[in-house]
Amino acid sequence: MSLSLAAKIEALLFLSPEPLSADALAGAAEVEIDEVQGALEELAEQYEESGRGLVLRPLAGGWSLSSHPDAEDAARNLFARPRTPALTPAQAETLAIIAYLQPVSRPEIARIRGVNAESAAATLLERGLVEESGRSQFGAVLYRTTDLFLRLFGLESIDELAPISAFDPSPELEEELRERLLRAGEARVAS
Amino acid sequence: MSPATAIKRPLRLVDLELDLEVFNGPFDLLLTLILREEIDLLEVDLADVVISYIDYLESRGELDLEAATEFLVLITALLELKSRLMLPGEEIEEIELDPGDAATELIERLLDAHRYRAAAAHLSSLLRDQSGYRFRSAPLPARLRKAALPEATAVYDPSRLAQAIGQMLVLPPEVDVRHIPVPKVTVAERLQLLRKLLRRGSFNFDEAVRDADRVTVAVTLFSLLELYKQGELTWAQDQPFGEIQVTASQSAAAAQPGEWAA
Repeated sequence: MSLSLAAKIEALLFLSPEPLSADALAGAAEVEIDEVQGALEELAEQYEESGRGLVLRPLAGGWSLSSHPDAEDAARNLFARPRTPALTPAQAETLAIIAYLQPVSRPEIARIRGVNAESAAATLLERGLVEESGRSQFGAVLYRTTDLFLRLFGLESIDELAPISAFDPSPELEEELRERLLRAGEARVAS
Repeated sequence: MSPATAIKRPLRLVDLELDLEVFNGPFDLLLTLILREEIDLLEVDLADVVISYIDYLESRGELDLEAATEFLVLITALLELKSRLMLPGEEIEEIELDPGDAATELIERLLDAHRYRAAAAHLSSLLRDQSGYRFRSAPLPARLRKAALPEATAVYDPSRLAQAIGQMLVLPPEVDVRHIPVPKVTVAERLQLLRKLLRRGSFNFDEAVRDADRVTVAVTLFSLLELYKQGELTWAQDQPFGEIQVTASQSAAAAQPGEWAA
Protein backbone atom coordinates (compact mmCIF):
# COMPACT_ATOMS: atom_id res chain seq x y z
CA MET A 1 0.00 0.00 0.00
CA SER A 2 2.07 2.85 -1.21
CA LEU A 3 -0.56 4.85 -3.06
CA SER A 4 -0.35 8.60 -2.58
CA LEU A 5 -3.29 10.43 -1.03
CA ALA A 6 -4.05 12.03 -4.41
CA ALA A 7 -4.22 8.60 -6.01
CA LYS A 8 -6.57 7.28 -3.33
CA ILE A 9 -8.82 10.27 -3.75
CA GLU A 10 -8.78 9.73 -7.49
CA ALA A 11 -10.07 6.20 -6.93
CA LEU A 12 -12.93 7.43 -4.74
CA LEU A 13 -13.89 10.12 -7.24
CA PHE A 14 -13.86 7.53 -10.01
CA LEU A 15 -16.35 5.38 -8.11
CA SER A 16 -18.79 8.11 -7.14
CA PRO A 17 -21.55 9.30 -9.47
CA GLU A 18 -22.21 12.30 -7.15
CA PRO A 19 -19.81 15.13 -6.28
CA LEU A 20 -17.82 14.25 -3.12
CA SER A 21 -17.14 16.93 -0.53
CA ALA A 22 -13.59 17.42 0.77
CA ASP A 23 -15.06 16.59 4.15
CA ALA A 24 -16.36 13.19 3.05
CA LEU A 25 -13.05 12.41 1.30
CA ALA A 26 -11.08 13.32 4.42
CA GLY A 27 -13.30 11.01 6.47
CA ALA A 28 -12.87 8.13 4.02
CA ALA A 29 -9.11 8.53 3.65
CA GLU A 30 -8.70 9.20 7.37
CA VAL A 31 -6.66 12.36 6.91
CA GLU A 32 -7.08 16.06 7.70
CA ILE A 33 -9.27 18.11 5.41
CA ASP A 34 -6.39 20.49 4.57
CA GLU A 35 -4.39 17.60 3.15
CA VAL A 36 -7.37 16.49 1.07
CA GLN A 37 -7.89 20.02 -0.23
CA GLY A 38 -4.25 20.18 -1.31
CA ALA A 39 -4.39 16.75 -2.94
CA LEU A 40 -7.59 17.67 -4.83
CA GLU A 41 -6.03 20.82 -6.25
CA GLU A 42 -2.89 18.95 -7.19
CA LEU A 43 -4.95 16.28 -8.92
CA ALA A 44 -7.08 18.80 -10.83
CA GLU A 45 -3.92 20.49 -12.03
CA GLN A 46 -2.39 17.20 -13.15
CA TYR A 47 -5.48 16.36 -15.17
CA GLU A 48 -5.43 19.70 -16.88
CA GLU A 49 -1.73 19.90 -17.58
CA SER A 50 -1.25 16.42 -18.95
CA GLY A 51 -4.16 16.70 -21.41
CA ARG A 52 -6.23 13.89 -19.94
CA GLY A 53 -9.68 12.82 -21.01
CA LEU A 54 -11.05 13.54 -17.53
CA VAL A 55 -11.75 16.86 -15.87
CA LEU A 56 -11.80 17.34 -12.08
CA ARG A 57 -13.84 20.36 -10.95
CA PRO A 58 -15.44 21.67 -7.77
CA LEU A 59 -19.20 21.41 -8.38
CA ALA A 60 -22.30 21.71 -6.21
CA GLY A 61 -20.30 21.90 -2.99
CA GLY A 62 -18.10 18.88 -3.79
CA TRP A 63 -15.58 17.62 -6.32
CA SER A 64 -16.56 15.66 -9.36
CA LEU A 65 -14.87 13.86 -12.23
CA SER A 66 -16.39 14.21 -15.65
CA SER A 67 -15.39 13.49 -19.21
CA HIS A 68 -13.62 16.23 -21.19
CA PRO A 69 -15.92 18.12 -23.57
CA ASP A 70 -13.52 17.41 -26.43
CA ALA A 71 -14.33 13.73 -26.07
CA GLU A 72 -18.04 14.42 -26.51
CA ASP A 73 -18.22 13.62 -30.24
CA ALA A 74 -16.67 10.23 -29.66
CA ALA A 75 -18.89 9.68 -26.62
CA ARG A 76 -22.00 10.38 -28.70
CA ASN A 77 -21.00 7.72 -31.20
CA LEU A 78 -20.71 5.14 -28.47
CA PHE A 79 -23.38 6.14 -25.92
CA ALA A 80 -26.84 7.66 -25.90
CA ARG A 81 -27.07 11.45 -25.70
CA PRO A 82 -27.08 12.73 -22.13
CA ARG A 83 -30.59 13.39 -20.90
CA THR A 84 -30.29 17.14 -20.41
CA PRO A 85 -32.49 18.76 -23.04
CA ALA A 86 -32.31 22.55 -23.38
CA LEU A 87 -34.79 24.57 -21.35
CA THR A 88 -37.81 26.22 -22.96
CA PRO A 89 -37.93 30.02 -22.50
CA ALA A 90 -40.70 29.65 -19.89
CA GLN A 91 -38.69 27.05 -17.95
CA ALA A 92 -35.52 29.15 -18.13
CA GLU A 93 -37.34 32.26 -16.86
CA THR A 94 -38.96 30.33 -14.02
CA LEU A 95 -35.62 28.75 -13.12
CA ALA A 96 -33.89 32.15 -13.18
CA ILE A 97 -36.45 33.62 -10.80
CA ILE A 98 -36.12 30.64 -8.45
CA ALA A 99 -32.32 30.73 -8.61
CA TYR A 100 -32.15 34.43 -7.74
CA LEU A 101 -35.01 34.80 -5.28
CA GLN A 102 -35.05 31.42 -3.54
CA PRO A 103 -36.98 30.41 -1.59
CA VAL A 104 -39.78 31.81 -3.72
CA SER A 105 -43.41 30.83 -4.20
CA ARG A 106 -45.24 30.12 -7.43
CA PRO A 107 -47.57 33.14 -7.13
CA GLU A 108 -44.51 35.34 -6.77
CA ILE A 109 -42.95 33.79 -9.88
CA ALA A 110 -46.22 34.35 -11.75
CA ARG A 111 -46.31 37.97 -10.56
CA ILE A 112 -42.87 38.67 -11.99
CA ARG A 113 -43.44 36.86 -15.25
CA GLY A 114 -46.99 38.13 -15.65
CA VAL A 115 -48.09 34.61 -16.56
CA ASN A 116 -48.83 31.42 -14.77
CA ALA A 117 -45.72 29.37 -13.94
CA GLU A 118 -47.46 26.12 -13.13
CA SER A 119 -46.37 23.87 -15.96
CA ALA A 120 -42.83 25.26 -16.12
CA ALA A 121 -42.39 24.76 -12.37
CA ALA A 122 -43.76 21.21 -12.64
CA THR A 123 -41.24 20.35 -15.38
CA LEU A 124 -38.34 21.83 -13.38
CA LEU A 125 -39.44 19.77 -10.37
CA GLU A 126 -39.65 16.65 -12.48
CA ARG A 127 -36.18 17.24 -13.93
CA GLY A 128 -34.85 17.65 -10.40
CA LEU A 129 -33.54 21.19 -10.99
CA VAL A 130 -35.73 22.67 -8.24
CA GLU A 131 -37.35 21.26 -5.12
CA GLU A 132 -39.92 22.31 -2.58
CA SER A 133 -38.62 24.16 0.43
CA GLY A 134 -41.40 24.57 2.97
CA ARG A 135 -44.31 26.96 2.75
CA SER A 136 -44.73 30.72 2.85
CA GLN A 137 -46.69 32.31 5.68
CA PHE A 138 -49.74 32.21 3.42
CA GLY A 139 -49.36 28.50 2.71
CA ALA A 140 -47.90 28.71 -0.80
CA VAL A 141 -45.23 26.12 -1.63
CA LEU A 142 -41.74 27.64 -1.81
CA TYR A 143 -39.11 26.51 -4.30
CA ARG A 144 -35.33 26.44 -4.27
CA THR A 145 -32.70 25.07 -6.65
CA THR A 146 -31.06 21.67 -6.10
CA ASP A 147 -27.49 20.34 -6.13
CA LEU A 148 -28.31 18.79 -9.50
CA PHE A 149 -29.01 22.31 -10.78
CA LEU A 150 -25.55 23.46 -9.64
CA ARG A 151 -23.90 20.43 -11.19
CA LEU A 152 -25.66 20.66 -14.55
CA PHE A 153 -24.98 24.39 -14.80
CA GLY A 154 -21.32 23.99 -13.82
CA LEU A 155 -21.59 25.97 -10.59
CA GLU A 156 -19.75 25.33 -7.36
CA SER A 157 -22.37 27.16 -5.33
CA ILE A 158 -25.31 29.46 -5.94
CA ASP A 159 -23.13 32.47 -5.03
CA GLU A 160 -21.19 31.87 -8.21
CA LEU A 161 -24.12 33.14 -10.30
CA ALA A 162 -23.61 36.66 -11.61
CA PRO A 163 -25.56 39.15 -9.43
CA ILE A 164 -29.02 39.94 -10.79
CA SER A 165 -28.00 43.56 -11.27
CA ALA A 166 -25.78 42.31 -14.10
CA PHE A 167 -28.99 41.86 -16.08
CA ASP A 168 -30.42 45.31 -15.41
CA PRO A 169 -31.96 46.72 -18.55
CA SER A 170 -29.92 49.66 -19.84
CA PRO A 171 -30.88 53.17 -18.70
CA GLU A 172 -31.83 53.89 -22.32
CA LEU A 173 -34.30 51.00 -22.31
CA GLU A 174 -35.72 52.10 -18.98
CA GLU A 175 -36.14 55.66 -20.20
CA GLU A 176 -37.78 54.45 -23.36
CA LEU A 177 -40.26 52.36 -21.38
CA ARG A 178 -41.10 55.24 -19.09
CA GLU A 179 -41.65 57.65 -21.94
CA ARG A 180 -43.69 55.16 -23.87
CA LEU A 181 -45.95 54.54 -20.87
CA LEU A 182 -46.60 58.17 -20.06
CA ARG A 183 -46.50 59.72 -23.48
CA ALA A 184 -48.16 57.22 -25.79
CA GLY A 185 -51.56 58.45 -24.78
CA GLU A 186 -50.78 62.14 -24.72
CA ALA A 187 -49.99 62.18 -28.42
CA ARG A 188 -53.37 60.67 -29.10
CA VAL A 189 -55.16 63.07 -26.79
CA ALA A 190 -53.59 65.98 -28.64
CA SER A 191 -54.45 64.77 -32.11
CA MET B 1 -22.06 52.75 -21.14
CA SER B 2 -22.65 51.23 -24.53
CA PRO B 3 -24.76 53.28 -26.94
CA ALA B 4 -28.47 52.71 -27.01
CA THR B 5 -28.32 51.12 -30.42
CA ALA B 6 -26.59 48.04 -29.03
CA ILE B 7 -29.36 47.13 -26.62
CA LYS B 8 -32.28 48.74 -28.30
CA ARG B 9 -35.09 46.38 -29.16
CA PRO B 10 -38.45 47.40 -30.49
CA LEU B 11 -40.78 47.96 -27.56
CA ARG B 12 -44.39 47.42 -28.31
CA LEU B 13 -47.16 48.15 -25.94
CA VAL B 14 -50.24 46.40 -27.04
CA ASP B 15 -51.87 47.87 -30.11
CA LEU B 16 -55.38 47.16 -28.91
CA GLU B 17 -58.58 49.13 -29.41
CA LEU B 18 -61.00 48.98 -26.47
CA ASP B 19 -64.72 49.66 -26.30
CA LEU B 20 -65.58 49.74 -22.58
CA GLU B 21 -68.32 51.32 -20.54
CA VAL B 22 -66.04 54.04 -19.17
CA PHE B 23 -63.53 54.24 -21.94
CA ASN B 24 -63.25 54.01 -25.68
CA GLY B 25 -59.87 53.97 -27.39
CA PRO B 26 -56.49 52.25 -27.45
CA PHE B 27 -55.10 50.28 -24.52
CA ASP B 28 -52.01 52.44 -23.98
CA LEU B 29 -54.22 55.53 -23.81
CA LEU B 30 -56.32 53.85 -21.13
CA LEU B 31 -53.11 53.10 -19.26
CA THR B 32 -51.97 56.70 -19.52
CA LEU B 33 -55.33 58.05 -18.37
CA ILE B 34 -55.33 55.70 -15.38
CA LEU B 35 -51.80 56.76 -14.51
CA ARG B 36 -52.78 60.44 -14.76
CA GLU B 37 -55.87 59.76 -12.65
CA GLU B 38 -58.22 60.90 -15.37
CA ILE B 39 -60.00 57.58 -15.19
CA ASP B 40 -60.73 55.88 -11.87
CA LEU B 41 -59.23 52.41 -11.96
CA LEU B 42 -62.11 51.20 -9.81
CA GLU B 43 -64.53 52.00 -12.62
CA VAL B 44 -62.63 50.06 -15.26
CA ASP B 45 -63.83 46.54 -15.88
CA LEU B 46 -60.48 44.79 -16.39
CA ALA B 47 -62.16 41.53 -17.35
CA ASP B 48 -63.55 43.33 -20.41
CA VAL B 49 -60.05 44.51 -21.29
CA VAL B 50 -58.82 40.91 -21.14
CA ILE B 51 -61.75 39.67 -23.23
CA SER B 52 -61.10 42.38 -25.82
CA TYR B 53 -57.47 41.32 -25.90
CA ILE B 54 -58.39 37.68 -26.47
CA ASP B 55 -60.80 38.69 -29.27
CA TYR B 56 -58.03 40.77 -30.75
CA LEU B 57 -55.58 37.87 -30.61
CA GLU B 58 -58.14 35.63 -32.25
CA SER B 59 -58.77 38.08 -35.06
CA ARG B 60 -55.04 38.44 -35.65
CA GLY B 61 -54.62 34.67 -35.79
CA GLU B 62 -51.00 34.86 -34.62
CA LEU B 63 -49.38 35.38 -31.27
CA ASP B 64 -46.68 38.00 -30.86
CA LEU B 65 -45.03 36.64 -27.72
CA GLU B 66 -43.15 39.83 -26.93
CA ALA B 67 -46.28 41.98 -27.05
CA ALA B 68 -48.34 39.35 -25.22
CA THR B 69 -45.82 39.23 -22.36
CA GLU B 70 -45.87 42.99 -22.04
CA PHE B 71 -49.66 43.01 -21.99
CA LEU B 72 -49.75 40.30 -19.32
CA VAL B 73 -47.28 42.09 -17.09
CA LEU B 74 -49.25 45.33 -17.36
CA ILE B 75 -52.68 43.80 -16.86
CA THR B 76 -51.53 41.83 -13.78
CA ALA B 77 -50.08 45.01 -12.31
CA LEU B 78 -53.37 46.83 -12.95
CA LEU B 79 -55.33 43.96 -11.39
CA GLU B 80 -53.17 44.05 -8.31
CA LEU B 81 -53.46 47.82 -7.99
CA LYS B 82 -57.21 47.62 -8.41
CA SER B 83 -57.64 44.85 -5.88
CA ARG B 84 -55.58 46.84 -3.38
CA LEU B 85 -57.74 49.90 -3.99
CA MET B 86 -60.86 47.85 -3.40
CA LEU B 87 -59.77 46.63 -0.01
CA PRO B 88 -60.72 48.80 2.91
CA GLY B 89 -58.09 49.89 5.42
CA GLU B 90 -55.80 52.72 6.34
CA GLU B 91 -53.10 51.74 3.90
CA ILE B 92 -55.33 53.17 1.22
CA GLU B 93 -53.85 56.55 2.05
CA GLU B 94 -50.38 55.24 1.25
CA ILE B 95 -51.26 53.46 -1.94
CA GLU B 96 -53.57 56.16 -3.22
CA LEU B 97 -53.01 55.87 -6.94
CA ASP B 98 -50.44 58.59 -7.34
CA PRO B 99 -49.75 58.78 -11.07
CA GLY B 100 -46.00 58.90 -10.55
CA ASP B 101 -45.96 55.93 -8.15
CA ALA B 102 -48.24 53.85 -10.30
CA ALA B 103 -46.07 54.51 -13.32
CA THR B 104 -42.96 53.62 -11.29
CA GLU B 105 -44.59 50.40 -10.21
CA LEU B 106 -45.62 49.47 -13.74
CA ILE B 107 -42.16 50.26 -15.04
CA GLU B 108 -40.56 48.26 -12.22
CA ARG B 109 -42.69 45.30 -13.30
CA LEU B 110 -41.62 45.61 -16.89
CA LEU B 111 -37.96 46.06 -15.92
CA ASP B 112 -38.11 43.02 -13.64
CA ALA B 113 -39.58 40.97 -16.44
CA HIS B 114 -36.74 42.12 -18.74
CA ARG B 115 -34.16 41.44 -16.06
CA TYR B 116 -35.23 37.87 -15.41
CA ARG B 117 -35.59 37.20 -19.11
CA ALA B 118 -31.93 38.19 -19.52
CA ALA B 119 -30.95 36.03 -16.52
CA ALA B 120 -32.86 33.16 -18.11
CA ALA B 121 -30.86 33.52 -21.33
CA HIS B 122 -27.68 33.48 -19.25
CA LEU B 123 -28.72 30.25 -17.48
CA SER B 124 -29.59 28.63 -20.80
CA SER B 125 -26.13 29.44 -22.13
CA LEU B 126 -24.49 28.06 -18.96
CA LEU B 127 -26.40 24.82 -19.50
CA ARG B 128 -25.34 24.74 -23.15
CA ASP B 129 -21.67 25.23 -22.20
CA GLN B 130 -21.87 22.27 -19.85
CA SER B 131 -23.35 19.87 -22.36
CA GLY B 132 -19.96 18.31 -23.17
CA TYR B 133 -19.24 17.21 -19.61
CA ARG B 134 -20.53 13.75 -18.77
CA PHE B 135 -20.60 12.28 -15.32
CA ARG B 136 -20.19 8.71 -14.31
CA SER B 137 -23.48 6.97 -13.84
CA ALA B 138 -24.34 3.52 -12.64
CA PRO B 139 -24.43 1.21 -15.66
CA LEU B 140 -27.82 0.13 -16.98
CA PRO B 141 -28.73 -3.52 -16.64
CA ALA B 142 -27.46 -5.35 -19.74
CA ARG B 143 -30.95 -5.97 -21.11
CA LEU B 144 -31.75 -2.24 -21.09
CA ARG B 145 -28.57 -1.10 -22.80
CA LYS B 146 -28.68 0.82 -26.03
CA ALA B 147 -29.27 -1.59 -28.89
CA ALA B 148 -29.41 -0.98 -32.63
CA LEU B 149 -32.80 -1.69 -34.22
CA PRO B 150 -31.50 -3.85 -37.10
CA GLU B 151 -29.87 -6.22 -34.62
CA ALA B 152 -33.05 -6.66 -32.62
CA THR B 153 -35.15 -9.75 -33.18
CA ALA B 154 -38.93 -9.81 -33.01
CA VAL B 155 -40.20 -11.57 -29.91
CA TYR B 156 -43.86 -10.63 -29.81
CA ASP B 157 -46.59 -11.04 -32.37
CA PRO B 158 -47.76 -7.57 -33.59
CA SER B 159 -51.40 -8.53 -32.99
CA ARG B 160 -50.70 -8.46 -29.27
CA LEU B 161 -49.95 -4.76 -29.51
CA ALA B 162 -53.15 -4.17 -31.49
CA GLN B 163 -55.12 -5.96 -28.79
CA ALA B 164 -53.60 -3.88 -26.04
CA ILE B 165 -54.28 -0.60 -27.84
CA GLY B 166 -57.75 -1.73 -28.97
CA GLN B 167 -58.81 -2.14 -25.38
CA MET B 168 -57.72 1.37 -24.55
CA LEU B 169 -59.89 2.76 -27.35
CA VAL B 170 -63.11 1.43 -25.79
CA LEU B 171 -64.82 4.03 -23.63
CA PRO B 172 -65.38 2.79 -20.08
CA PRO B 173 -68.96 3.07 -18.77
CA GLU B 174 -69.63 6.47 -17.27
CA VAL B 175 -69.52 6.52 -13.47
CA ASP B 176 -72.83 7.40 -11.86
CA VAL B 177 -72.27 10.24 -9.39
CA ARG B 178 -75.90 11.16 -8.81
CA HIS B 179 -75.79 9.86 -5.24
CA ILE B 180 -73.07 12.38 -4.28
CA PRO B 181 -74.71 15.57 -3.02
CA VAL B 182 -73.12 18.70 -4.48
CA PRO B 183 -72.95 21.45 -1.89
CA LYS B 184 -74.29 24.62 -3.44
CA VAL B 185 -74.08 28.06 -2.01
CA THR B 186 -74.92 31.16 -3.97
CA VAL B 187 -73.80 34.77 -3.59
CA ALA B 188 -77.48 35.78 -3.46
CA GLU B 189 -78.09 33.55 -0.43
CA ARG B 190 -75.07 34.88 1.38
CA LEU B 191 -75.95 38.48 0.53
CA GLN B 192 -79.33 37.92 2.09
CA LEU B 193 -77.74 36.55 5.25
CA LEU B 194 -75.25 39.42 5.46
CA ARG B 195 -77.98 42.02 4.95
CA LYS B 196 -80.00 40.37 7.71
CA LEU B 197 -77.04 40.56 10.10
CA LEU B 198 -76.41 44.14 9.00
CA ARG B 199 -79.79 45.25 10.26
CA ARG B 200 -78.26 45.03 13.72
CA GLY B 201 -75.85 47.78 12.75
CA SER B 202 -72.70 45.69 13.07
CA PHE B 203 -71.62 42.10 13.47
CA ASN B 204 -68.58 39.89 13.65
CA PHE B 205 -67.63 38.06 10.43
CA ASP B 206 -67.25 34.81 12.38
CA GLU B 207 -70.97 34.93 13.10
CA ALA B 208 -71.75 34.94 9.42
CA VAL B 209 -69.67 31.84 8.74
CA ARG B 210 -70.13 29.80 11.89
CA ASP B 211 -69.89 26.04 11.13
CA ALA B 212 -69.62 26.81 7.42
CA ASP B 213 -67.41 24.86 5.01
CA ARG B 214 -64.56 26.50 3.08
CA VAL B 215 -66.60 27.19 -0.04
CA THR B 216 -69.28 28.92 2.00
CA VAL B 217 -66.67 31.03 3.79
CA ALA B 218 -65.17 32.04 0.44
CA VAL B 219 -68.56 32.92 -1.06
CA THR B 220 -69.46 34.89 2.06
CA LEU B 221 -66.25 36.88 1.84
CA PHE B 222 -66.96 37.54 -1.82
CA SER B 223 -70.46 38.77 -0.89
CA LEU B 224 -68.91 41.00 1.75
CA LEU B 225 -66.65 42.55 -0.89
CA GLU B 226 -69.66 43.07 -3.12
CA LEU B 227 -71.55 44.90 -0.36
CA TYR B 228 -68.46 46.94 0.40
CA LYS B 229 -68.20 47.89 -3.25
CA GLN B 230 -71.83 48.97 -3.23
CA GLY B 231 -71.17 51.08 -0.15
CA GLU B 232 -73.51 49.22 2.18
CA LEU B 233 -70.89 48.36 4.77
CA THR B 234 -67.35 48.88 5.98
CA TRP B 235 -65.15 46.50 7.88
CA ALA B 236 -62.17 46.57 10.19
CA GLN B 237 -59.56 43.99 11.15
CA ASP B 238 -56.98 44.96 13.75
CA GLN B 239 -54.37 42.39 12.81
CA PRO B 240 -53.87 39.60 10.28
CA PHE B 241 -56.05 36.59 11.13
CA GLY B 242 -57.80 38.73 13.76
CA GLU B 243 -61.52 39.23 14.09
CA ILE B 244 -63.30 41.09 11.31
CA GLN B 245 -65.84 43.60 12.53
CA VAL B 246 -68.44 44.51 9.90
CA THR B 247 -70.42 47.75 10.26
CA ALA B 248 -73.31 49.06 8.21
CA SER B 249 -72.37 52.34 6.54
CA GLN B 250 -74.44 55.43 7.29
CA SER B 251 -76.11 55.63 3.91
CA ALA B 252 -76.85 51.90 3.86
CA ALA B 253 -80.24 52.28 5.47
CA ALA B 254 -81.58 53.92 2.34
CA ALA B 255 -79.65 51.70 -0.04
CA GLN B 256 -81.56 50.03 -2.83
CA PRO B 257 -81.06 46.28 -3.25
CA GLY B 258 -78.32 45.84 -5.87
CA GLU B 259 -78.13 43.58 -8.85
CA TRP B 260 -77.31 40.56 -6.70
CA ALA B 261 -80.43 40.79 -4.59
CA ALA B 262 -82.32 37.53 -4.35
